[in-house]
Amino acid sequence: MSYRAVFAVAGWEFRLAVRGRLVMGTALTFTVVCVVATLLGLRSLSELGLAGVGPGTAALINLAILFPPLMGMMLGANSLSSARERGLLPLMLVQPLSRLDHVAGVVIGLVGAVWLTIGFGFGASALLLASVAGAADIGGLLAIVASALGVAIVAVALGVAVSAIAGSRLQALGLSMGLWFLFAFAIDLVLAGVAASVHLGPLGLFVGVLLNPLEAGRVLMVLASGGDALTLGPFGAYLNVTVGAAGATLAVCASLATWTGLSVLAAWAGVTRREP
Amino acid sequence: MRIRKHAPPDNGMPEMLSIQSVKKSFGDSVVLDDVSLQLKQGDIALLVGANGSGKSTLLRCVAGLTSFDGTALVLGADPRSAARRGLIGYLPQLVALPEAVTVGEVVAFFARLRGVSVSGPDELAAAVPLPDGFLPALERPIGALSGGMRRRVALAAALIGSPPLVLLDEPAASLDEEHSASLWETMKALRAAGGTALIAMPLLVTSLLRHDLATVADRAVLLDRGRVVHDGSVESLRPTPALGGSPRMSAVGDSRPMPAVGAQRLMSAGSR
Repeated sequence: MSYRAVFAVAGWEFRLAVRGRLVMGTALTFTVVCVVATLLGLRSLSELGLAGVGPGTAALINLAILFPPLMGMMLGANSLSSARERGLLPLMLVQPLSRLDHVAGVVIGLVGAVWLTIGFGFGASALLLASVAGAADIGGLLAIVASALGVAIVAVALGVAVSAIAGSRLQALGLSMGLWFLFAFAIDLVLAGVAASVHLGPLGLFVGVLLNPLEAGRVLMVLASGGDALTLGPFGAYLNVTVGAAGATLAVCASLATWTGLSVLAAWAGVTRREP
Repeated sequence: MRIRKHAPPDNGMPEMLSIQSVKKSFGDSVVLDDVSLQLKQGDIALLVGANGSGKSTLLRCVAGLTSFDGTALVLGADPRSAARRGLIGYLPQLVALPEAVTVGEVVAFFARLRGVSVSGPDELAAAVPLPDGFLPALERPIGALSGGMRRRVALAAALIGSPPLVLLDEPAASLDEEHSASLWETMKALRAAGGTALIAMPLLVTSLLRHDLATVADRAVLLDRGRVVHDGSVESLRPTPALGGSPRMSAVGDSRPMPAVGAQRLMSAGSR
């Protein structure tokens, strides 16, 4: 792998992304809603603390699990498909770098753009919290931010994989939005609906969470911010009994890492096999 | 203009480009049919043909961008590995650079990919092996450039680092006369530095253009419906009137009928 080429591509993709309307618009919106959520949650924060997973924390976690992943998937979906349609991909792939270098560079660059957005949103929240929160609360916020950064990597990698495989840019964007909806809402709804009737049990739900990177990210945020695993309901209870909070954290981290690795491999296979 | 000199050819060295019996089809449509072609180091060859004759597809095969039957080797290596080693520069027929970046950022990006150091504006300008004034101002955004100016930037991106084999797909499209002349001067300099180029061109319209290109290119390879029907000097290609009211194109020693493309654009290949 040529790190020089990877970081050249990453810098290029980052520059293109942050100058685009999607990143600027999402960053602005995300910052505003983070500020609003923080202001609304300040009352509960003063009573429960951030680490208590009160309404304020829950709002920040839900924002982190919805906005940045959607942005990451759409940026990723736009990347290779747009370059292909513009005739830029052939020009790039004849440069002295491998297909894997190219995919890795695209993912890294776009992850940087999503991280910037997360930084804006949670940075504004941290400034508001600084006056009322204690060290433990700031630690809890940092844990949520760190988890959100991890989920952003998965989302971008998934989007780039979709971009490499989809037939057109529009198809890639549609597929990525569909995937986001599936992971953010649809799987939860289906699991909630079938859990009782088909007796999935705690283990089934646990597997369901591991197969859903956004849900894994949400669990990671709750656990990392110091929340009791029991706040996750039956699933949390199952975790406490079987692997404990540390084991659960490892499991969801492994899930996110696997999703990222498989997505990058899928993107690499798509770019290698498909004619640009 | 800074063009990197390439080492003189070695007798034991494989040919710069060797294409043997290349075939390519899209479904039932045969685009390239048994194409063979060799270029030695320092050769500048024009790949000439009507629309749909297979020029762009052949360049994409050589650039490692599309699969094909047969063999194409760049300095003895398959095209993909040759590209990874930085041996190929390629300008696609259609390329739309992102509008949000500047000319300088495009140049710097492709220079970094090629391992060319570009820490300041002077180095940026020097990294492009094209005459002064060919590139638009480095600080101008791509979105503010005309089509011809964008083409010049894309051309610079393909030539940065002076790769040993350059594949250009209709490079002069959208260029004005002055910048076309600069492009052909660059090709002469490339040849003098030991570089090799295969340049796809539409059918040569005027005798003046043909004369200009004859000073640049050693050879013209004429493609017709995916087959090489002539391989000779540029000047051996000349306009010919329609034959008996039925426009045709023929090469000396080759009596196969050629596609009707309009009498004024026709040419015939003379003796080699």
